[in-house]
Amino acid sequence: MVRLIINKDKLLKGSKSASQEKLGQKSEVKVLKERKMTLGWLSALSPGLRQKLCESSGSRLAEFEEIRLRIGRPLILRLGQTELTIDNDNRLSSELKKGYIISKAELERNLEILSQGSLYAWEDEFKNGYLTIPGGHRVGFVGRGVLDKGVIRTIRDISGFNYRISREVPGCADEVLPYVIENQHVFHTLIISPPQCGKTTLLRDMVCQISDGIEKMGFGGVNVGLVDERSELAGIYEGQPQFHIGLRTDVLDACPKAQGMIMLIRSMSPRVVATDEIGKPEDVEAVYEALQTGVSVLTTIHGSNLEEIKKRPFLRKLLNWQFFERIVLLSRRDGPGTIEAVYDGKTLERMK
Amino acid sequence: MIICGCGYTGLKIAAVYQKRADTLRILQNGLSLLETEIRYASTPLPQALQRVGEKLNRESRVIFTRAADIMQLREGCAVSEAWDAGIKTLSEAVWISAEETSILALFGKGLGNSAKEDQLKNIALAKEQLHMAEKSAAAAREKNKRMWQYMGFCFGTVIVLLLV
Repeated sequence: MVRLIINKDKLLKGSKSASQEKLGQKSEVKVLKERKMTLGWLSALSPGLRQKLCESSGSRLAEFEEIRLRIGRPLILRLGQTELTIDNDNRLSSELKKGYIISKAELERNLEILSQGSLYAWEDEFKNGYLTIPGGHRVGFVGRGVLDKGVIRTIRDISGFNYRISREVPGCADEVLPYVIENQHVFHTLIISPPQCGKTTLLRDMVCQISDGIEKMGFGGVNVGLVDERSELAGIYEGQPQFHIGLRTDVLDACPKAQGMIMLIRSMSPRVVATDEIGKPEDVEAVYEALQTGVSVLTTIHGSNLEEIKKRPFLRKLLNWQFFERIVLLSRRDGPGTIEAVYDGKTLERMK
Repeated sequence: MIICGCGYTGLKIAAVYQKRADTLRILQNGLSLLETEIRYASTPLPQALQRVGEKLNRESRVIFTRAADIMQLREGCAVSEAWDAGIKTLSEAVWISAEETSILALFGKGLGNSAKEDQLKNIALAKEQLHMAEKSAAAAREKNKRMWQYMGFCFGTVIVLLLV
Protein backbone atom coordinates (compact mmCIF):
# COMPACT_ATOMS: atom_id res chain seq x y z
CA MET A 1 0.00 0.00 0.00
CA VAL A 2 2.84 2.33 0.90
CA ARG A 3 4.45 1.53 -2.43
CA LEU A 4 1.26 2.44 -4.24
CA ILE A 5 1.12 5.83 -2.59
CA ILE A 6 4.77 6.59 -3.23
CA ASN A 7 4.39 5.59 -6.86
CA LYS A 8 1.38 7.83 -7.13
CA ASP A 9 3.33 10.77 -5.75
CA LYS A 10 6.18 10.04 -8.15
CA LEU A 11 3.75 9.93 -11.01
CA LEU A 12 2.26 13.23 -10.00
CA LYS A 13 5.63 14.89 -9.70
CA GLY A 14 7.27 13.27 -12.74
CA SER A 15 7.73 15.27 -15.92
CA LYS A 16 6.11 13.95 -19.07
CA SER A 17 5.14 15.16 -22.50
CA ALA A 18 1.66 16.64 -22.81
CA SER A 19 0.13 13.60 -24.52
CA GLN A 20 1.83 11.16 -22.16
CA GLU A 21 0.61 13.21 -19.22
CA LYS A 22 -2.94 13.15 -20.52
CA LEU A 23 -2.86 9.39 -21.02
CA GLY A 24 -1.17 8.90 -17.65
CA GLN A 25 -3.80 11.01 -15.92
CA LYS A 26 -6.63 9.01 -17.44
CA SER A 27 -5.22 5.67 -16.39
CA GLU A 28 -4.26 7.08 -13.00
CA VAL A 29 -7.80 8.31 -12.38
CA LYS A 30 -8.97 4.77 -13.15
CA VAL A 31 -6.39 3.24 -10.79
CA LEU A 32 -7.34 5.68 -8.06
CA LYS A 33 -11.01 4.88 -8.52
CA GLU A 34 -10.23 1.18 -8.14
CA ARG A 35 -8.13 1.92 -5.05
CA LYS A 36 -11.02 3.89 -3.58
CA MET A 37 -13.23 0.82 -3.98
CA THR A 38 -10.79 -1.53 -2.23
CA LEU A 39 -9.00 0.60 0.35
CA GLY A 40 -12.10 2.56 1.24
CA TRP A 41 -11.46 4.26 4.54
CA LEU A 42 -7.72 4.72 3.93
CA SER A 43 -8.34 6.95 0.93
CA ALA A 44 -10.64 9.13 3.04
CA LEU A 45 -7.73 10.24 5.22
CA SER A 46 -5.33 13.08 4.45
CA PRO A 47 -2.24 11.88 2.51
CA GLY A 48 0.11 12.58 5.46
CA LEU A 49 -1.97 10.62 7.92
CA ARG A 50 -2.51 7.82 5.43
CA GLN A 51 1.22 7.42 4.93
CA LYS A 52 1.83 7.45 8.68
CA LEU A 53 -0.75 4.71 9.22
CA CYS A 54 0.59 2.56 6.39
CA GLU A 55 4.19 2.86 7.57
CA SER A 56 3.48 2.23 11.24
CA SER A 57 0.74 -0.37 11.05
CA GLY A 58 1.45 -2.52 7.97
CA SER A 59 -0.69 -5.64 8.08
CA ARG A 60 -2.43 -4.54 11.29
CA LEU A 61 -4.38 -2.00 9.23
CA ALA A 62 -6.92 -4.72 8.63
CA GLU A 63 -7.62 -5.00 12.37
CA PHE A 64 -8.57 -1.36 12.99
CA GLU A 65 -12.12 -0.80 14.14
CA GLU A 66 -11.95 2.91 14.87
CA ILE A 67 -9.64 5.82 14.12
CA ARG A 68 -10.17 8.90 16.25
CA LEU A 69 -8.80 12.31 15.33
CA ARG A 70 -9.26 15.06 17.92
CA ILE A 71 -7.78 18.51 17.46
CA GLY A 72 -4.66 19.11 19.58
CA ARG A 73 -4.78 15.58 21.00
CA PRO A 74 -3.12 12.32 20.01
CA LEU A 75 -4.38 10.07 17.25
CA ILE A 76 -6.12 7.02 18.73
CA LEU A 77 -6.60 3.72 16.93
CA ARG A 78 -8.93 1.12 18.38
CA LEU A 79 -8.42 -2.58 17.72
CA GLY A 80 -11.07 -4.50 19.63
CA GLN A 81 -10.74 -3.35 23.22
CA THR A 82 -7.14 -2.10 22.76
CA GLU A 83 -6.31 1.54 22.10
CA LEU A 84 -3.08 2.45 20.36
CA THR A 85 -1.43 5.53 18.90
CA ILE A 86 1.52 6.26 16.61
CA ASP A 87 4.64 7.49 18.43
CA ASN A 88 7.42 9.82 17.23
CA ASP A 89 9.35 6.86 15.76
CA ASN A 90 6.34 6.01 13.59
CA ARG A 91 5.51 2.85 15.53
CA LEU A 92 2.30 1.69 17.11
CA SER A 93 2.36 2.43 20.82
CA SER A 94 0.00 2.08 23.76
CA GLU A 95 1.35 5.25 25.41
CA LEU A 96 -1.43 7.47 24.16
CA LYS A 97 -0.05 10.69 25.66
CA LYS A 98 3.13 10.40 23.59
CA GLY A 99 1.22 9.87 20.37
CA TYR A 100 1.06 11.86 17.16
CA ILE A 101 -0.85 15.10 17.82
CA ILE A 102 -3.56 16.01 15.33
CA SER A 103 -3.33 19.60 14.09
CA LYS A 104 -6.13 21.88 12.92
CA ALA A 105 -4.66 21.88 9.41
CA GLU A 106 -4.73 18.06 9.41
CA LEU A 107 -8.43 18.05 10.29
CA GLU A 108 -9.16 20.65 7.61
CA ARG A 109 -7.42 18.54 4.96
CA ASN A 110 -9.41 15.53 6.11
CA LEU A 111 -12.62 17.49 5.78
CA GLU A 112 -11.62 18.64 2.30
CA ILE A 113 -11.05 15.03 1.25
CA LEU A 114 -14.13 13.66 2.95
CA SER A 115 -16.40 16.27 1.38
CA GLN A 116 -14.54 16.11 -1.95
CA GLY A 117 -14.32 19.87 -1.66
CA SER A 118 -18.11 20.05 -1.92
CA LEU A 119 -19.69 20.97 1.40
CA TYR A 120 -23.03 21.70 -0.32
CA ALA A 121 -23.30 18.03 -1.34
CA TRP A 122 -23.38 16.80 2.25
CA GLU A 123 -25.78 19.23 3.93
CA ASP A 124 -27.98 16.47 5.35
CA GLU A 125 -24.94 14.52 6.52
CA PHE A 126 -23.62 17.61 8.29
CA LYS A 127 -26.96 18.02 10.02
CA ASN A 128 -26.77 14.43 11.21
CA GLY A 129 -23.08 14.57 12.18
CA TYR A 130 -21.73 11.73 10.06
CA LEU A 131 -21.12 10.75 6.49
CA THR A 132 -20.45 7.50 4.68
CA ILE A 133 -17.29 6.94 2.67
CA PRO A 134 -16.44 4.45 -0.09
CA GLY A 135 -16.51 0.96 1.35
CA GLY A 136 -19.56 1.66 3.49
CA HIS A 137 -17.58 2.98 6.46
CA ARG A 138 -18.99 5.77 8.57
CA VAL A 139 -17.17 8.91 9.64
CA GLY A 140 -18.70 10.80 12.54
CA PHE A 141 -17.63 14.32 13.40
CA VAL A 142 -18.11 16.97 16.06
CA GLY A 143 -17.70 20.73 16.03
CA ARG A 144 -19.74 23.83 16.68
CA GLY A 145 -23.41 23.55 15.84
CA VAL A 146 -25.08 26.24 13.72
CA LEU A 147 -28.71 26.50 14.74
CA ASP A 148 -31.73 27.63 12.77
CA LYS A 149 -34.87 28.07 14.88
CA GLY A 150 -33.46 25.70 17.47
CA VAL A 151 -32.65 22.96 14.96
CA ILE A 152 -29.07 22.09 13.94
CA ARG A 153 -28.57 23.46 10.43
CA THR A 154 -24.96 22.42 10.08
CA ILE A 155 -21.74 21.90 12.02
CA ARG A 156 -18.77 24.21 11.60
CA ASP A 157 -15.30 24.42 13.17
CA ILE A 158 -14.97 20.64 13.03
CA SER A 159 -12.86 19.52 15.99
CA GLY A 160 -12.91 15.76 15.79
CA PHE A 161 -13.49 12.78 13.50
CA ASN A 162 -14.28 9.18 14.25
CA TYR A 163 -13.70 6.74 11.40
CA ARG A 164 -15.72 3.60 12.06
CA ILE A 165 -14.53 0.78 9.88
CA SER A 166 -17.20 -1.69 8.95
CA ARG A 167 -16.48 -5.23 7.87
CA GLU A 168 -18.26 -8.04 6.21
CA VAL A 169 -18.41 -11.27 8.16
CA PRO A 170 -19.93 -13.86 5.81
CA GLY A 171 -21.77 -16.54 7.72
CA CYS A 172 -22.19 -14.54 10.94
CA ALA A 173 -25.96 -14.98 10.66
CA ASP A 174 -25.75 -18.80 10.43
CA GLU A 175 -26.55 -19.19 14.12
CA VAL A 176 -29.60 -16.91 14.00
CA LEU A 177 -31.20 -17.85 10.69
CA PRO A 178 -32.70 -21.20 11.85
CA TYR A 179 -34.78 -19.18 14.37
CA VAL A 180 -35.76 -16.56 11.79
CA ILE A 181 -36.78 -18.80 8.87
CA GLU A 182 -39.36 -21.58 9.07
CA ASN A 183 -41.05 -23.35 6.15
CA GLN A 184 -40.05 -20.71 3.57
CA HIS A 185 -41.41 -18.01 5.87
CA VAL A 186 -39.19 -15.24 7.25
CA PHE A 187 -40.33 -14.04 10.67
CA HIS A 188 -40.54 -10.35 11.57
CA THR A 189 -37.28 -9.93 13.44
CA LEU A 190 -35.90 -7.24 15.73
CA ILE A 191 -32.20 -7.20 16.59
CA ILE A 192 -31.39 -5.44 19.86
CA SER A 193 -27.78 -4.51 20.42
CA PRO A 194 -25.55 -1.94 22.12
CA PRO A 195 -23.27 0.06 19.75
CA GLN A 196 -20.30 -1.79 18.24
CA CYS A 197 -21.70 -5.24 18.82
CA GLY A 198 -22.14 -6.05 15.15
CA LYS A 199 -25.85 -5.52 14.55
CA THR A 200 -25.32 -3.97 11.11
CA THR A 201 -22.94 -6.78 10.13
CA LEU A 202 -25.44 -9.39 11.33
CA LEU A 203 -28.34 -7.74 9.50
CA ARG A 204 -26.26 -7.48 6.31
CA ASP A 205 -25.44 -11.18 6.38
CA MET A 206 -29.06 -12.08 7.12
CA VAL A 207 -30.18 -9.99 4.13
CA CYS A 208 -27.52 -11.55 1.91
CA GLN A 209 -28.42 -15.13 2.84
CA ILE A 210 -32.18 -14.58 2.67
CA SER A 211 -31.76 -12.97 -0.74
CA ASP A 212 -29.39 -15.61 -2.14
CA GLY A 213 -31.21 -18.57 -0.61
CA ILE A 214 -29.89 -21.06 1.94
CA GLU A 215 -29.33 -24.48 0.51
CA LYS A 216 -28.86 -26.36 3.79
CA MET A 217 -32.17 -25.02 5.10
CA GLY A 218 -33.95 -25.64 1.81
CA PHE A 219 -34.78 -21.94 1.57
CA GLY A 220 -35.01 -20.69 -1.99
CA GLY A 221 -34.23 -17.01 -1.59
CA VAL A 222 -36.70 -14.13 -1.91
CA ASN A 223 -36.73 -10.49 -3.02
CA VAL A 224 -35.42 -8.25 -0.29
CA GLY A 225 -35.89 -4.48 -0.11
CA LEU A 226 -33.17 -2.69 1.81
CA VAL A 227 -33.62 0.87 3.06
CA ASP A 228 -30.09 2.03 3.73
CA GLU A 229 -30.50 5.48 5.24
CA ARG A 230 -26.90 5.79 6.41
CA SER A 231 -25.36 3.89 3.44
CA GLU A 232 -23.85 1.44 5.93
CA LEU A 233 -25.65 -1.79 5.08
CA ALA A 234 -24.87 -1.95 1.38
CA GLY A 235 -22.18 0.74 1.39
CA ILE A 236 -23.33 2.10 -1.96
CA TYR A 237 -20.65 4.15 -3.70
CA GLU A 238 -21.45 5.66 -7.09
CA GLY A 239 -24.43 3.35 -7.36
CA GLN A 240 -22.59 0.11 -6.63
CA PRO A 241 -22.97 -1.85 -3.37
CA GLN A 242 -19.57 -2.41 -1.77
CA PHE A 243 -20.76 -5.34 0.34
CA HIS A 244 -22.41 -8.59 -0.65
CA ILE A 245 -26.08 -8.03 -0.14
CA GLY A 246 -27.53 -10.86 -2.22
CA LEU A 247 -28.84 -11.54 -5.70
CA ARG A 248 -32.38 -10.42 -5.08
CA THR A 249 -31.79 -7.31 -3.00
CA ASP A 250 -32.96 -3.85 -4.07
CA VAL A 251 -31.39 -0.97 -2.19
CA LEU A 252 -32.89 2.43 -1.55
CA ASP A 253 -29.81 4.36 -0.56
CA ALA A 254 -29.68 7.45 1.69
CA CYS A 255 -33.47 7.61 1.99
CA PRO A 256 -35.31 8.21 5.26
CA LYS A 257 -36.43 4.84 6.58
CA ALA A 258 -40.09 5.77 6.95
CA GLN A 259 -40.55 7.00 3.37
CA GLY A 260 -38.13 4.44 1.95
CA MET A 261 -39.92 1.38 3.34
CA ILE A 262 -43.25 2.45 1.92
CA MET A 263 -41.67 3.34 -1.44
CA LEU A 264 -39.94 -0.03 -1.68
CA ILE A 265 -43.07 -1.98 -0.84
CA ARG A 266 -45.03 -0.11 -3.52
CA SER A 267 -42.38 -0.17 -6.21
CA MET A 268 -40.28 -3.32 -5.89
CA SER A 269 -42.68 -5.90 -4.37
CA PRO A 270 -40.22 -7.32 -1.83
CA ARG A 271 -41.05 -10.30 0.40
CA VAL A 272 -38.71 -8.99 3.09
CA VAL A 273 -37.92 -5.39 3.99
CA ALA A 274 -34.81 -4.65 6.03
CA THR A 275 -33.63 -1.45 7.64
CA ASP A 276 -31.09 -0.47 10.25
CA GLU A 277 -31.40 1.38 13.56
CA ILE A 278 -34.99 2.44 13.94
CA GLY A 279 -35.29 5.05 16.66
CA LYS A 280 -37.51 7.97 15.65
CA PRO A 281 -41.29 7.84 16.16
CA GLU A 282 -41.88 8.05 12.38
CA ASP A 283 -39.63 4.99 11.87
CA VAL A 284 -41.82 3.04 14.27
CA GLU A 285 -44.95 4.18 12.40
CA ALA A 286 -43.39 3.08 9.09
CA VAL A 287 -42.46 -0.32 10.53
CA TYR A 288 -46.05 -0.64 11.75
CA GLU A 289 -47.36 0.17 8.29
CA ALA A 290 -44.92 -2.27 6.64
CA LEU A 291 -45.95 -4.99 9.06
CA GLN A 292 -49.57 -4.58 7.88
CA THR A 293 -48.71 -5.09 4.22
CA GLY A 294 -47.70 -8.71 4.57
CA VAL A 295 -43.98 -8.31 4.00
CA SER A 296 -41.54 -9.57 6.60
CA VAL A 297 -39.58 -6.88 8.41
CA LEU A 298 -35.99 -7.21 9.65
CA THR A 299 -34.71 -4.31 11.69
CA THR A 300 -32.29 -3.33 14.44
CA ILE A 301 -32.43 -1.08 17.45
CA HIS A 302 -29.95 0.32 19.96
CA GLY A 303 -30.29 -1.17 23.43
CA SER A 304 -28.71 -3.57 25.91
CA ASN A 305 -31.74 -5.64 26.83
CA LEU A 306 -35.50 -5.91 26.53
CA GLU A 307 -36.14 -4.02 29.76
CA GLU A 308 -34.28 -0.99 28.48
CA ILE A 309 -36.31 -0.94 25.25
CA LYS A 310 -39.54 -1.14 27.24
CA LYS A 311 -38.61 2.11 29.00
CA ARG A 312 -38.56 4.06 25.72
CA PRO A 313 -42.22 5.06 25.11
CA PHE A 314 -42.63 4.61 21.37
CA LEU A 315 -40.43 1.52 21.23
CA ARG A 316 -42.49 0.01 24.05
CA LYS A 317 -45.48 0.55 21.77
CA LEU A 318 -43.72 -1.46 19.07
CA LEU A 319 -43.14 -4.37 21.46
CA ASN A 320 -46.66 -4.17 22.85
CA TRP A 321 -48.10 -4.61 19.35
CA GLN A 322 -46.38 -7.99 19.42
CA PHE A 323 -45.78 -7.92 15.71
CA PHE A 324 -42.16 -8.95 15.98
CA GLU A 325 -42.00 -12.73 16.02
CA ARG A 326 -38.31 -13.00 16.87
CA ILE A 327 -36.13 -10.76 19.01
CA VAL A 328 -32.37 -11.26 18.81
CA LEU A 329 -30.13 -9.84 21.53
CA LEU A 330 -26.47 -9.16 20.76
CA SER A 331 -23.49 -8.39 22.98
CA ARG A 332 -19.70 -8.23 22.85
CA ARG A 333 -19.15 -10.88 25.50
CA ASP A 334 -17.21 -13.24 23.19
CA GLY A 335 -16.24 -10.53 20.71
CA PRO A 336 -18.52 -8.47 18.43
CA GLY A 337 -21.61 -10.29 17.23
CA THR A 338 -22.07 -12.60 20.24
CA ILE A 339 -25.65 -13.85 20.15
CA GLU A 340 -26.77 -13.45 23.74
CA ALA A 341 -30.35 -14.64 23.30
CA VAL A 342 -33.20 -15.19 20.85
CA TYR A 343 -36.73 -14.54 22.14
CA ASP A 344 -40.14 -15.39 20.76
CA GLY A 345 -41.53 -11.89 20.21
CA LYS A 346 -45.09 -12.77 21.18
CA THR A 347 -44.54 -14.74 24.37
CA LEU A 348 -41.11 -13.25 25.18
CA GLU A 349 -39.96 -16.78 25.90
CA ARG A 350 -36.28 -17.38 25.48
CA MET A 351 -35.57 -19.73 22.54
CA LYS A 352 -31.76 -19.66 22.79
CA MET B 1 1.85 34.26 -51.57
CA ILE B 2 2.48 37.38 -49.50
CA ILE B 3 -1.15 38.43 -49.93
CA CYS B 4 -2.35 34.96 -48.91
CA GLY B 5 -0.01 34.88 -45.88
CA CYS B 6 -1.03 38.29 -44.60
CA GLY B 7 -4.69 37.59 -45.40
CA TYR B 8 -4.52 34.31 -43.44
CA THR B 9 -2.95 36.09 -40.46
CA GLY B 10 -5.71 38.70 -40.57
CA LEU B 11 -8.37 35.98 -40.65
CA LYS B 12 -6.71 34.21 -37.69
CA ILE B 13 -6.75 37.41 -35.62
CA ALA B 14 -10.42 37.95 -36.55
CA ALA B 15 -11.15 34.35 -35.46
CA VAL B 16 -9.63 35.05 -32.02
CA TYR B 17 -12.30 37.71 -31.39
CA GLN B 18 -15.00 35.31 -32.52
CA LYS B 19 -13.66 32.49 -30.35
CA ARG B 20 -13.43 34.65 -27.25
CA ALA B 21 -17.11 35.60 -27.47
CA ASP B 22 -18.06 31.96 -28.15
CA THR B 23 -16.01 30.76 -25.17
CA LEU B 24 -17.68 33.20 -22.80
CA ARG B 25 -21.09 32.05 -24.01
CA ILE B 26 -20.20 28.37 -23.61
CA LEU B 27 -18.79 29.02 -20.14
CA GLN B 28 -22.14 30.48 -19.11
CA ASN B 29 -23.84 27.32 -20.43
CA GLY B 30 -21.34 25.28 -18.42
CA LEU B 31 -22.17 27.20 -15.26
CA SER B 32 -25.89 26.64 -15.90
CA LEU B 33 -25.21 22.88 -16.14
CA LEU B 34 -23.16 23.04 -12.94
CA GLU B 35 -26.05 24.85 -11.28
CA THR B 36 -28.35 21.97 -12.26
CA GLU B 37 -25.90 19.39 -10.87
CA ILE B 38 -25.68 21.27 -7.57
CA ARG B 39 -29.33 22.26 -7.24
CA TYR B 40 -31.02 18.98 -8.15
CA ALA B 41 -28.48 16.23 -7.61
CA SER B 42 -26.08 17.72 -5.02
CA THR B 43 -23.33 16.06 -7.04
CA PRO B 44 -19.86 16.49 -5.49
CA LEU B 45 -17.58 18.74 -7.52
CA PRO B 46 -15.21 16.18 -9.10
CA GLN B 47 -18.13 14.32 -10.68
CA ALA B 48 -20.18 17.47 -11.34
CA LEU B 49 -17.31 19.23 -13.16
CA GLN B 50 -16.54 16.09 -15.15
CA ARG B 51 -20.17 15.72 -16.24
CA VAL B 52 -20.42 19.39 -17.19
CA GLY B 53 -17.17 19.13 -19.19
CA GLU B 54 -18.45 16.08 -21.05
CA LYS B 55 -21.60 17.93 -22.12
CA LEU B 56 -19.76 20.95 -23.50
CA ASN B 57 -18.03 21.08 -26.83
CA ARG B 58 -14.97 22.93 -28.09
CA GLU B 59 -12.11 24.21 -25.98
CA SER B 60 -14.27 25.64 -23.18
CA ARG B 61 -14.72 22.19 -21.66
CA VAL B 62 -11.07 22.01 -20.54
CA ILE B 63 -11.62 24.31 -17.58
CA PHE B 64 -14.13 21.83 -16.14
CA THR B 65 -12.44 18.56 -17.10
CA ARG B 66 -8.96 19.70 -16.01
CA ALA B 67 -10.25 20.88 -12.61
CA ALA B 68 -12.15 17.58 -12.17
CA ASP B 69 -9.05 15.51 -13.09
CA ILE B 70 -6.87 17.41 -10.65
CA MET B 71 -9.37 17.01 -7.84
CA GLN B 72 -9.46 13.27 -8.42
CA LEU B 73 -5.71 12.90 -8.82
CA ARG B 74 -4.44 15.05 -6.01
CA GLU B 75 -6.54 14.12 -3.03
CA GLY B 76 -6.59 16.98 -0.57
CA CYS B 77 -5.94 19.58 -3.26
CA ALA B 78 -8.00 22.71 -2.57
CA VAL B 79 -10.88 23.25 -4.99
CA SER B 80 -9.68 26.75 -5.88
CA GLU B 81 -6.23 25.34 -6.82
CA ALA B 82 -7.83 22.77 -9.12
CA TRP B 83 -10.09 25.43 -10.65
CA ASP B 84 -7.10 27.75 -11.16
CA ALA B 85 -5.32 24.96 -13.03
CA GLY B 86 -8.46 24.65 -15.18
CA ILE B 87 -8.36 28.39 -15.92
CA LYS B 88 -4.69 28.12 -16.88
CA THR B 89 -5.43 25.28 -19.31
CA LEU B 90 -8.34 27.24 -20.78
CA SER B 91 -6.29 30.41 -21.23
CA GLU B 92 -3.63 28.37 -23.03
CA ALA B 93 -6.24 27.07 -25.46
CA VAL B 94 -8.32 30.23 -25.95
CA TRP B 95 -7.46 33.89 -25.59
CA ILE B 96 -9.48 35.48 -22.80
CA SER B 97 -8.79 38.83 -21.18
CA ALA B 98 -7.29 39.31 -17.70
CA GLU B 99 -10.64 40.66 -16.52
CA GLU B 100 -12.44 37.51 -17.62
CA THR B 101 -9.78 35.35 -16.00
CA SER B 102 -10.28 37.21 -12.74
CA ILE B 103 -14.06 36.64 -12.91
CA LEU B 104 -13.40 32.90 -13.20
CA ALA B 105 -10.73 32.94 -10.47
CA LEU B 106 -13.04 34.78 -8.06
CA PHE B 107 -15.78 32.26 -8.78
CA GLY B 108 -13.32 29.44 -7.98
CA LYS B 109 -12.52 30.94 -4.57
CA GLY B 110 -16.11 30.35 -3.44
CA LEU B 111 -16.59 27.03 -5.20
CA GLY B 112 -17.59 24.12 -2.98
CA ASN B 113 -16.94 25.69 0.40
CA SER B 114 -20.43 26.72 1.44
CA ALA B 115 -24.05 25.61 1.52
CA LYS B 116 -26.07 24.96 -1.62
CA GLU B 117 -27.86 28.30 -1.48
CA ASP B 118 -24.56 30.22 -1.44
CA GLN B 119 -23.15 28.09 -4.24
CA LEU B 120 -26.13 28.92 -6.43
CA LYS B 121 -25.71 32.63 -5.67
CA ASN B 122 -22.01 32.38 -6.56
CA ILE B 123 -22.88 30.72 -9.87
CA ALA B 124 -25.55 33.33 -10.67
CA LEU B 125 -23.07 36.13 -9.99
CA ALA B 126 -20.37 34.57 -12.18
CA LYS B 127 -22.90 33.98 -14.96
CA GLU B 128 -24.02 37.60 -14.80
CA GLN B 129 -20.42 38.85 -14.95
CA LEU B 130 -19.60 36.52 -17.84
CA HIS B 131 -22.72 37.73 -19.64
CA MET B 132 -21.50 41.33 -19.35
CA ALA B 133 -18.04 40.23 -20.52
CA GLU B 134 -19.62 38.39 -23.45
CA LYS B 135 -21.45 41.57 -24.47
CA SER B 136 -18.25 43.57 -24.48
CA ALA B 137 -16.44 40.74 -26.30
CA ALA B 138 -19.23 40.74 -28.90
CA ALA B 139 -18.86 44.51 -29.33
CA ALA B 140 -15.09 44.12 -29.76
CA ARG B 141 -15.72 41.32 -32.23
CA GLU B 142 -18.09 43.48 -34.30
CA LYS B 143 -15.59 46.30 -34.24
CA ASN B 144 -12.44 44.35 -35.00
CA LYS B 145 -13.41 41.14 -36.78
CA ARG B 146 -14.21 42.69 -40.18
CA MET B 147 -11.33 45.12 -39.88
CA TRP B 148 -8.80 42.29 -39.41
CA GLN B 149 -10.42 40.19 -42.11
CA TYR B 150 -9.78 42.98 -44.67
CA MET B 151 -6.64 44.42 -43.13
CA GLY B 152 -4.61 41.25 -43.62
CA PHE B 153 -5.29 41.19 -47.34
CA CYS B 154 -4.84 44.98 -47.68
CA PHE B 155 -1.52 44.86 -45.83
CA GLY B 156 -0.34 42.00 -48.07
CA THR B 157 -1.39 43.93 -51.18
CA VAL B 158 0.51 47.05 -49.98
CA ILE B 159 3.67 45.00 -49.42
CA VAL B 160 3.36 43.45 -52.88
CA LEU B 161 2.84 46.90 -54.46
CA LEU B 162 5.87 48.28 -52.62
CA LEU B 163 7.97 45.31 -53.73
CA VAL B 164 6.85 45.79 -57.34
